[in-house]
Amino acid sequence: MQYRVTFKLESGGDHKVSAAFGENILELANRAGVDIDAPCSGNGTCGKCRLRLISGAVDVTPNTHLSDEDYEDGWRLACQSAVAGDASFFVPGSAEAYKSGIRTADLSSPQETELYEREMAGIFSTGLKKGVAAAREDDYGIAVDIGTTTVTAALIRLSDGQVAAKASAGNGQIRYGADVINRIIQSSKPGGRDKLRRAVCEDTIVPMMETMLKSADVEGNRVRRCVIAGNTTMEHLFVGEDAESIRLEPYVPAFLELHGKKAAELRLPINPEAEVLFAPNVGSYVGGDITAGTLTTLLWNSNELSLFIDLGTNGELVYGNADYMLCCACSAGPAFEGGDISCGMRATVGAIESCAIDEETMEPSYEVVGGEGTVPAGLCGSGLIDTISELFRCGIISPKGKFVRDGRRIRRDEYGAAYVLAFSEETGGRDVELNEIDIDNFIRAKGAIFSAIRTMLNSLDMTVDAIDHIYLAGGIGSGIDIEKAISIGMLPRAELSKYSYIGNSSLFGACAMLISDEAADKVFEIGRNMTYIELSSHPGYMDEFVAACFLPHTDASLFED
Amino acid sequence: MAFKRNPQKFPGATKTVVIGTGDRAVTLGGENVMPLYSFDAPIENRPKVGVEISDSGYDKNVPGIAAYYAGAETIADIAKKAAAMPGADFIAISLEGADPNGENKSVDECVELCKAVGEAVDLPIVVLGCKNHDKDAKLFEKISDALQGKNILVMSASEENYKTVSASAGLAYSQKIGAESAVDINLAKQLNVLISQMGVAADNVVMNVGSAAAGYGFEYVASTMDRVKAAALAQNDNMLQNPIVTPVSDDAWSVKESIVSEADFPEWGPTEKRGVAMEITTAAACLASGSNAVILRHPESVAAIAKFIGELM
Repeated sequence: MQYRVTFKLESGGDHKVSAAFGENILELANRAGVDIDAPCSGNGTCGKCRLRLISGAVDVTPNTHLSDEDYEDGWRLACQSAVAGDASFFVPGSAEAYKSGIRTADLSSPQETELYEREMAGIFSTGLKKGVAAAREDDYGIAVDIGTTTVTAALIRLSDGQVAAKASAGNGQIRYGADVINRIIQSSKPGGRDKLRRAVCEDTIVPMMETMLKSADVEGNRVRRCVIAGNTTMEHLFVGEDAESIRLEPYVPAFLELHGKKAAELRLPINPEAEVLFAPNVGSYVGGDITAGTLTTLLWNSNELSLFIDLGTNGELVYGNADYMLCCACSAGPAFEGGDISCGMRATVGAIESCAIDEETMEPSYEVVGGEGTVPAGLCGSGLIDTISELFRCGIISPKGKFVRDGRRIRRDEYGAAYVLAFSEETGGRDVELNEIDIDNFIRAKGAIFSAIRTMLNSLDMTVDAIDHIYLAGGIGSGIDIEKAISIGMLPRAELSKYSYIGNSSLFGACAMLISDEAADKVFEIGRNMTYIELSSHPGYMDEFVAACFLPHTDASLFED
Repeated sequence: MAFKRNPQKFPGATKTVVIGTGDRAVTLGGENVMPLYSFDAPIENRPKVGVEISDSGYDKNVPGIAAYYAGAETIADIAKKAAAMPGADFIAISLEGADPNGENKSVDECVELCKAVGEAVDLPIVVLGCKNHDKDAKLFEKISDALQGKNILVMSASEENYKTVSASAGLAYSQKIGAESAVDINLAKQLNVLISQMGVAADNVVMNVGSAAAGYGFEYVASTMDRVKAAALAQNDNMLQNPIVTPVSDDAWSVKESIVSEADFPEWGPTEKRGVAMEITTAAACLASGSNAVILRHPESVAAIAKFIGELM
């Protein structure tokens, strides 16, 4: 027996699909081409895939993500619902928001372009020469940064490095989970490797390339070089390689360097003979995005010691100078990108991106992505850092992240306490609030980053005072209030002048590799010269982690002047 | 060449915490040497031994304990006998019967028991809760109120209930509180920071950094205590300088070695002897690792540990 299931998108348009009894609604939506943000890939743990049942019925697995009122209102979690008859659903804008307005470092803003020019000038001021041996006049190349969440790309003229077009899109693999571990698990299911490869390649990168070629009016055949920079998992999944060993002890990826790939083999819409370069991986959790990003930081060219922090679902760190480089990765979890946070969201329209709280009245004032008048819908990473830092500064939460003050904005129930940033009257929907579990998740995420920094420095018998420069990259990087991040012990205490934001360092590094054989060789050299520390088997890491799960830190002297 | 003694000197020392009143008051901590290193510098306040009694009476299944307390009918009788035990420095009353998942004795009933103990003995009193955070918070509040002026120690305040316990026992009734954490130096320090932020002065707080019976993961206990003492002394970390009080009896008397009968394991010998050995071994190990006081149950263990301490000081 087949049933009719309809998805009505808030953004407009209906998707009808026929379904069998018992079919999972999230999988059905995927099949119907309706994109639903499901960071936990349908495990029922994140509570983000909310849909509203307009008519019909579904079988629902009970879960704790929906309140009774929400349930009465028709809200369901797609991943916890199964077809039980004809039904139609309303898909709220937020469910597909990840696809559209994600703020990314994708060269689309003047600031990003300026950063690009600055960083490229930096790279080629080191003595590296531009120029690609095999390139002819008027050849083009495409650089792609494959992020777990977002893919960005640039079409570049090889002769002069001119950016002809740029593009960015949500990684189509998102429907298979928000983090690399979930993706790897999905890829190891029967047919999974091909599914994941197609999601990122045919569904994401190919359309991006076609759009860029069209807008720049360049024939695909003239693109004779392509550089891919992604984390180890993304590079594996992009070429359809088995990624399972990344997830399992002893965490050794199938490849670190990949040579001799041609566009035809990878089904890219460019010259079939075009060479596809992959920025080299260093270990299971430090990949090509970091080696390419390290090129951008120039830390390999300086005698001064620099720390490079790429903040994302995984936090990756590189520390060193021209003589040596150490790198490691820590699992910060999705908190910085709004995941694992009840009102968390990515930095799209409606996200609270900065916040200040009055110490006396505990009333907040905040800025929302989308400008004045935009109704707040949730908190993105930078808003989260701001809010927690302000709650802590005002003595509203203890160093353990528990609420110790009471007032109009503090709500307490059997599950703990929460701070209400915006009441439902203001949002027209749910309250935007931050609860103790959210804060706890965030503290773990910041603890992971900071303890990784400490562990790496400790292994060299160094302290944070030894660091001369700190480079921040990653989507969250641009919006962070560094001072606030330091005040809660997420970033090491150092003069603000030591910090700089370097944008999408991975894409910039890939662009440099595209237009310069020497830069490409340098990235391979960087990859081979890096010492990879596996934190999960590092004896001191767990201890550092527990110490860092406190605001600002168990050893408060690390954050005192 | 003659051996030249080279004492380790430290910038820090542990804080002193006084429990009880009058002649029998007990001072814990204050040393500026590694545990039991009395040859480096005098240890003014030798480690102390507490005798554990329970709201549910004494353990009649352990012959030595049954014989010692024979004839004691009320909690007051039991407390008097415990106080008379050679080597006893303080009395620790365990309120395990108050556990809501067990007998669920009322707060009032427990208050009465503690008052009776307080009237019966002049030794300092330590109140061990029922291990339920919410119930403990209620118990400690009422007991601290009822025993005002006795300068008792309530154990323990945990991360879950430190706010209530600090506010009532620590601030309102000026009793001493124990900060309990689970065998992790960072968690121990974090709780001390939280309690100090509640306004409880450091000389009103002792730590229970967690324990285990010897052989049951005790290496974690040893390394935690060792690191706590190293931080307190060598790094002068004032958030880890509180004296450590370790309840040993509960762990020691609940492991297999102390429970299984001789009939089942003839090659292991008499049950009671094993239990005593476990209690003594664990307590000695705790003292060597850094505990400033241990809480024991069996008269033989109390005597042995008191002798052990006496001979090392």
